[in-house]
Amino acid sequence: MSTDKSKRKLLNPYHVVFLAQSVMIGTGILSLPQQLSSLGYSQAFMPLLFGVIASVTLYPMIWINSKYPNENLFRINEILLGKWLGKFINLFFVIQFIIFIAGIISNYMHLIQSTALQEQTITGPVLCFLLLLVYIVSGGIKSIARFCILTFFLTIGMVYFTHWAFEKGDFSHFLPLYNFFSVHDFYEAIKRGYLSILGYELIMFYFPYIVDQKKAYRHTLIGIWISILICFITTAISVMYYSEWQLENVEFSVLNLFKAGEFSFIERIDIFGITLWVFLILSTVAAYLWCAKKGVDSLLSKKSNAYLYILAIIIFFVVKMPFSRDFQEKLFYGANYVAYMLILWPILLIMVYALRKKKQVQL
Amino acid sequence: MEEKKQQAIEKIKEKIQEIDDVVIKEMVTDAGIVTIFYFSSLIEKMTLQSMVFIPLVNHVNQIFQVSESVDLEDIDVIIQKLNAGQTLLFFHKPALLQVIDTYSAPTRSITNTETESTVIGPQDAFTESLETNISLVKRRIQNPMLKNETRTVGTETNIKISILYMDNIVNKENLDRLRGRIDNLQYPFFTDISELKQLIEDNPLSPFPQHYMSVRPDSVSQYLVDGRIVIFMDNSQAAIVCPTSFFELFVSVEDYYNRWTTASLLRMLRFFGFFMTIMITPMYISALTFHPEILPYELLLNLQESRSKVPFPPLVEVLFIELIIEVLREAGSRMPAKVGQTIGIVGGIVIGTAAVEAGLLSNILIVLVATSALLSFLPPIFLLSNTSRFIRYIFILSAGLFGLYGLMLAFAWLFAHLLRLNSLGTPYMTPVVPRKARDLFDGIIRFPIKYLNEKKGISRAQKK
Repeated sequence: MSTDKSKRKLLNPYHVVFLAQSVMIGTGILSLPQQLSSLGYSQAFMPLLFGVIASVTLYPMIWINSKYPNENLFRINEILLGKWLGKFINLFFVIQFIIFIAGIISNYMHLIQSTALQEQTITGPVLCFLLLLVYIVSGGIKSIARFCILTFFLTIGMVYFTHWAFEKGDFSHFLPLYNFFSVHDFYEAIKRGYLSILGYELIMFYFPYIVDQKKAYRHTLIGIWISILICFITTAISVMYYSEWQLENVEFSVLNLFKAGEFSFIERIDIFGITLWVFLILSTVAAYLWCAKKGVDSLLSKKSNAYLYILAIIIFFVVKMPFSRDFQEKLFYGANYVAYMLILWPILLIMVYALRKKKQVQL
Repeated sequence: MEEKKQQAIEKIKEKIQEIDDVVIKEMVTDAGIVTIFYFSSLIEKMTLQSMVFIPLVNHVNQIFQVSESVDLEDIDVIIQKLNAGQTLLFFHKPALLQVIDTYSAPTRSITNTETESTVIGPQDAFTESLETNISLVKRRIQNPMLKNETRTVGTETNIKISILYMDNIVNKENLDRLRGRIDNLQYPFFTDISELKQLIEDNPLSPFPQHYMSVRPDSVSQYLVDGRIVIFMDNSQAAIVCPTSFFELFVSVEDYYNRWTTASLLRMLRFFGFFMTIMITPMYISALTFHPEILPYELLLNLQESRSKVPFPPLVEVLFIELIIEVLREAGSRMPAKVGQTIGIVGGIVIGTAAVEAGLLSNILIVLVATSALLSFLPPIFLLSNTSRFIRYIFILSAGLFGLYGLMLAFAWLFAHLLRLNSLGTPYMTPVVPRKARDLFDGIIRFPIKYLNEKKGISRAQKK
């Protein structure tokens, strides 16, 4: 029994920190300044606000998990909501994960196609990407966590590339502080921008594997704030570098920040940046795919590696589906809203938990 | 009773009757008639003379002091002892079988190492004799805690191996795991320890060596004191050290003999050299095939000019020259030394000048390939340069497929693969996946030697 238990507990504190951190940084950060553009120059401090929101919403997640230290959210759903309703909700989440993953991959591949591989279709690159993804995920959550750590140290150097933009930028763009007028703009910015920092909610799925569960909140928080800091730096530098019009209209503005760079031996650093970005995408998507696989395991009450391949095939077809780009974007956008639901979901679970507890006490 | 023993002797004779180098002699001594068996190929005449014949003729009792008696019934064991170079003495009257260890096979003397040579530090290397190798280590670690367990492996060859470890430092779990792997081996023959290494590795399908191999007694002793387990095999020069990590493949024992500044510089060179050697030519392919815009205008102009006569796409061009270099390297290492040099020079001139003039290759590529070939020899142990040779083709092909994106994908594969590897159950990528932050003191940068007194995380040593 004891060996069994020690095998389950896989994630050390640093794994937890970087799982939270790396999963959060995906393609989102590339277009974050544009997503926040309704606020104009005031957007620079939004990431910090997001950080606060994330820290607050993380608490119920950890709380509900700590009530069931050996179960992931899929199981908790089944326990609290009953088998059928729980399974239905789980199915919903799994579908959401698949579409979310497909959305991230599709976004990234369009980016790759428009910058690096202009003369190719994306079928080959997507296939190779998925193969690699399956390879990483089949190593289990610890393998993903290790990959996240490595990703962080390999890609953190890219922050350096923004320093030219920093030098060329204008500090006065920050002033005056809080110069936006309508609450609607603020709401719009949160709605569109918060997506970029999603990813920490996956803690609800890998929580049972954490060694030091009591400190999981603190470790995840460290991870969240590392990401928030990176988001803050990039948005702040974007604000300094771009005009308000550019913020609104340049799609991948962070990539263009790289272009401000000047090397004598390399002309386009952004191509290096965007291809190196594959590490970030892989670490994000791998964690989501792992969760989706756990979801399928719990839906069918059986564990098999074959599900992983099936999921990868489904994702391939979602990415390559023969619908218009418009429809795809709507679908991926819809999946994003469901992701917000996932963040608030534990609050509902806590209510159910409290009700049940009350009932038991009365009985 | 007596008759039974006589029969046993007949049986032994029967078993060895078709082995030509067996010598069976009868002698009359003070203790009656003695029959002597030995294999002449395994025994030197002088040893036999001094250890067997002189005592037999002068003081028979001396024989009993140095020999051990063997049960006559156990014929397989007796044959095994004969095979191991021992001499059998059968005393007819009390019907007693005694064996004396007279093994003295020809051995090579201790020489310099050719594969892991250093400028500073001791120059002796292991030889093919198990006893010599162990004695070389024991001379460096004079501590009764240094244990060596002997086993035989290979169901046909029955080769002796020795497992060495420091009893007070080694991780017992690792030791048990290794013993289990060795005991479960069902492999018929071992001619070198490399075969054993492949059989007891965690992931034999991976291109990366998961156990360290060295022929240097100083490096092996250092690892032993750090808590690793070392395996020697009779008739093999190298020793296996396990567990080991990816970063240790870049560590040469000479790093500890140099000052920390020099050592750090050299280690960084080796480390980044490994990544450069697998990235240089793929970069060339991806820049020319997919993203010419990443190069500055002047450089691009240069490249185009040098490639203007080349009729192939960059991928074919690179594969072509890489294969030629591979052939040169392989031919150079197989050829007799006197011919080898000539071929090397001719190959160099033909490829370096003629191929460019013939319009088969661009001269910038020649520079790149030559650099990457040189870089692949930087790792202090040969295992890794073989790996980088292989890995490079994966990178070349993926760069040919998808340019920089393919290159990064291959890079991600490389890391994902390295992260999944284990060496004796310990993560291969320590200390990047930190097992112990202090390991970074002896990572890519080697800190001054007074900070390096702690055991490495990967050894999971008993004492700190």
